Amino acid sequence: MPSIALLAPVLLPLVAAGVVTAFGLSGFNLGPLLVGAGAWAAVLALLVIWLPLRATQELNLGPLGFGANLQLRIDAVAFGFGLMVLLPAALVLTLQPRTWQEATVGLLGVGSAMGAIEAGGVVLTALAGGTAATLAVIQLDTEDVRAPRPRWSMLLAAWLALSWAGAILQIRGGTASYSALPVSALTVSVFSLIAIAGLMASGLVPWRSWPAQVWSRPSLRAAGLVIATLYPLGLYLLIRAYDMGGGRYPHAALNAILASLGVVVALGAAARAQAAGTRREFLGEVIPGIGGFALMSIALGTPLGLVAGLITLSAAAAMTACLSLLPDRTGPASLLAIAAAIGLPPGIVFGARILGLESTFEAGDFYGLIGIAGAVTWVLWIVAGARAIGLPGGRGRPLNESFPRVAMVIAALTLAAGPALAAFQYVFARAQSDVMPSLPGAATGGFTSVVTVSTVLPVVALFVPLLIIAVLAYGASNTAVIRTQSRPPLFTIPGAAVMARARSVVIAASLPEQYRSIVNPRALEAAAAAGQPLLWLASLAALGFAVSR
Amino acid sequence: MIEVTAAGLAWLGASLLVLADGRRGLALGLALLTIAFAVFAVATGLPVGAAVVAAGGGIAAWQCWRSPAARWGIMPAGSTPRLVLCIGSGLLGLWIAAAVTAGPGGALRFAVLVVLGLIGARALSSRELHVVLAGIAGLALALGAAPGLDVPPAGDVPDVAAGLIAAGIMFLPRAVHLHGPELDKSAR
Amino acid sequence: MHAELLAAAAATLVLAVVFAPARVVRASLLTWGLAGLAGMAAIALAPSLDLVLLIVLILAVLQARLASHRDFATRVRGPILAVVLLAIGMAFERVDGPVMLERFGAVGIVAGLVAVLGVFPYIHEFDPEESVVASPIPWIAFIGPLLGVTVMSWARQVVAPDAGDAFGAMLIGLGLLNVGWGSLASWRTESDAAAWRYSFMADWGLALCGFGMAITDGMAGALILLLSIVIGRLPLYLWSRQALRDKRPAYRPINLLIAALLAGSAPFAGFAARVLLLRGATQLYWPLALVLALAMLLWLPASLRLGRSLGMPRGRQAVGVAIVLALNVALGLYPQPLLRLAGL
Repeated sequence: MPSIALLAPVLLPLVAAGVVTAFGLSGFNLGPLLVGAGAWAAVLALLVIWLPLRATQELNLGPLGFGANLQLRIDAVAFGFGLMVLLPAALVLTLQPRTWQEATVGLLGVGSAMGAIEAGGVVLTALAGGTAATLAVIQLDTEDVRAPRPRWSMLLAAWLALSWAGAILQIRGGTASYSALPVSALTVSVFSLIAIAGLMASGLVPWRSWPAQVWSRPSLRAAGLVIATLYPLGLYLLIRAYDMGGGRYPHAALNAILASLGVVVALGAAARAQAAGTRREFLGEVIPGIGGFALMSIALGTPLGLVAGLITLSAAAAMTACLSLLPDRTGPASLLAIAAAIGLPPGIVFGARILGLESTFEAGDFYGLIGIAGAVTWVLWIVAGARAIGLPGGRGRPLNESFPRVAMVIAALTLAAGPALAAFQYVFARAQSDVMPSLPGAATGGFTSVVTVSTVLPVVALFVPLLIIAVLAYGASNTAVIRTQSRPPLFTIPGAAVMARARSVVIAASLPEQYRSIVNPRALEAAAAAGQPLLWLASLAALGFAVSR
Repeated sequence: MIEVTAAGLAWLGASLLVLADGRRGLALGLALLTIAFAVFAVATGLPVGAAVVAAGGGIAAWQCWRSPAARWGIMPAGSTPRLVLCIGSGLLGLWIAAAVTAGPGGALRFAVLVVLGLIGARALSSRELHVVLAGIAGLALALGAAPGLDVPPAGDVPDVAAGLIAAGIMFLPRAVHLHGPELDKSAR
Repeated sequence: MHAELLAAAAATLVLAVVFAPARVVRASLLTWGLAGLAGMAAIALAPSLDLVLLIVLILAVLQARLASHRDFATRVRGPILAVVLLAIGMAFERVDGPVMLERFGAVGIVAGLVAVLGVFPYIHEFDPEESVVASPIPWIAFIGPLLGVTVMSWARQVVAPDAGDAFGAMLIGLGLLNVGWGSLASWRTESDAAAWRYSFMADWGLALCGFGMAITDGMAGALILLLSIVIGRLPLYLWSRQALRDKRPAYRPINLLIAALLAGSAPFAGFAARVLLLRGATQLYWPLALVLALAMLLWLPASLRLGRSLGMPRGRQAVGVAIVLALNVALGLYPQPLLRLAGL
């Protein structure tokens, strides 16, 4: 396969966007099938590039002009993340009808996200990721300008921070390319910038942020696509940081801080989920919750933790597609989605969480406490999920953008994929070895069991019977008796009311009337913009005084 | 000695541009500036430049002189600050040219700095069209002479350009004048 | 750098004339645009800064000839001050004197450059109703970029090494002031037309910071920013004027794309310039990079406002906007050829 083929997963969605635009301007809407074809073509290209060789491939097309080369790279990590972005995006693009403008921006966003994943260096990742973020905001505002969306300033700050980190790496290390960067260039300060960028880009914060807010929009067409393309990118940066640091973060404290943050993010999402008033509100916390657990696992710095994090992220990708297509009403689709999301056995989320918690205990010391916190958080999720089954659906969605059967199939596959946990581990172990070469503690075990440092998990032997029991239990249950009603939360978040009051006080703060004459921006502007010679001479005098010091 | 005299004429010409509100006063100031910078050009060995400066500045001064309702208007009431400015800038320019800086060409240094400073101040403070136009003409002449501070001098081109600009400024079409405060006053 | 800016200005003139709104007198726009281009070409070819100043004087007087509510004296005030300051600054640098005189010369050159552009604190008086050709906008956005580059290239030759630090520091200081003033004023001012003018100032603030860094990355970032001013912000401003008069803001996808361009988001030219400036600032003094990075976020609220103010471009204007967006994407993704041409 010629290396120029690496451009295909990035270019194909862009070309498709161009075709959609050309037809759109001529008055033809191509329809979702043809729109989705652009993304499916990228999936196919990615598989064709990676599967025959299953080895890292690079393409370098020379300098772009701002210190970065047009360097693309597909290794196991890029392959995994590429599928995590492309598959849910392709699904929602194929099924949900859109205007040609929305389809164009969506496809451009998919192409940009793939560009960020395939980029061979930090600066190019920042450029492509920033583009994806910009397009995400445009997509969301195009659909509904009044509905919640990520703060553009936060997204811009994230990718600007990453580009600054890339610039620092270029100065200190001579390059910001992932494959050529000297390990010593990734200092604590540079990593901190990358980590901040990753956390802001994915909204990985303990309070309710954009990954939860966008699910409350009246329509979820754009929300699903934005989560699919944008949300994994922040965690991708944290995994690439291992690549840059020779398999480690620059300081162990960074692992501890990020892993703690991960469990706090998951706990915050769980706390909000258990207080949700509708099922839509509960499901809106699912992606942040799964993301928190993924962060916890990834940040541990152990091979098992990284693999568990990657499996968790793949489950998040599946849930993104599922939630985008799920209607706001009771039914088997909703039930299965909740079961899959909260990590009921024998689902893949369940398996990944087991591995993630085990990796915390294997890491030992402080990480064991994180594992205990993670386990408590998981229990809270399960309780919240049980409560959510009986909640009212939500505000309702347009019928033509929800596909309950497809959502049900995805949820069912997520639940049924638990026995394949060992296979997932086997696949993602390749990605782990790419970014954490020669680190001890990698899991092994083939396709039927996961063998870790401390234990052997016979996945097929354990999960298949659980699956059978779950199917029988579901078959024997009568979901028709579920009556939805408002339910009180299990507990109120301590200090939530105080924080909300404080926030509203800060927002409503204004300068008291009697002091406004001291600071009068309008008068200041009028004085500065009036072209007054005295002001000009005074400025000149000030400059002269400054240089004479 | 000739250059010192020229420097003195330059200061006098610039001062007249600052102190005069009437066209005749401005024309006299321009004429003095023209003579001064033409002399400097000759002293630097640029006869062509000197000729163009003399012609251009002379045309500008003549055009200013022959305007209708021309008057002298030198040192009208309230012009004491301007007088102080002229004297102060002269002293400051002298100090910089003679004491602070070194090397030959002190007279040219003085002339250039003083003319630039005074005309700049006048242009900033006045809203009269003819004053500003005369100031721009004088500014052009000073800019033409400024390259003479370099060793070796830059050639005739700056002086030629300056002379042409000084002359051309005064022939602006009336469309410009329509928006000047002078015609607004006469319309009242 | 001159050739790129001249070409960009010519391209902008073509765009402005071809895609002008129906009510604009194209002949007048073309005539004065060509005059400006001729002036810019003369500035680029002038063998000395003194001739550049004389050309600036001519351009100022010719522009002040145009019909406007502002009187002649007000309109030439800024350029005259600039010429005087630049000339005095050059004189101080030319003569043999103490280091302090060289520093004052640097003050003169920096202040003169800022004055001719009309950025803070030497802001030219602005009348939103005035025609663009007669307004201060050509100084800041059409002639200004090439003039700024010319002044900087001459200044680097004449400013003494002892005054070099002060020269760079003043540029960076004034640049940061303009970044703050321009971005905040563009966001908060009442008039949309004034908001556009302040947005030019904000971009110039970054460019001045780039000039002040005196290293290749800074100069490259400044060049890309100036190009984005000429072939990005300026044509968009020209096309916004009709919508501003008719008070027809819009919030469609195209307005958001325009906002992204104006905010310097990826993949537009502004982002590449920002990366280069951050690189340069990090090499020089990393807290400066932090300040710049934080300041860059201030572009967003103003850009959303300006993007809306363009209204809904239709017909030929939509094509023009699409061309501007495409050019800026190309410049943002692949500035290498232009930078190589400029020797950076």
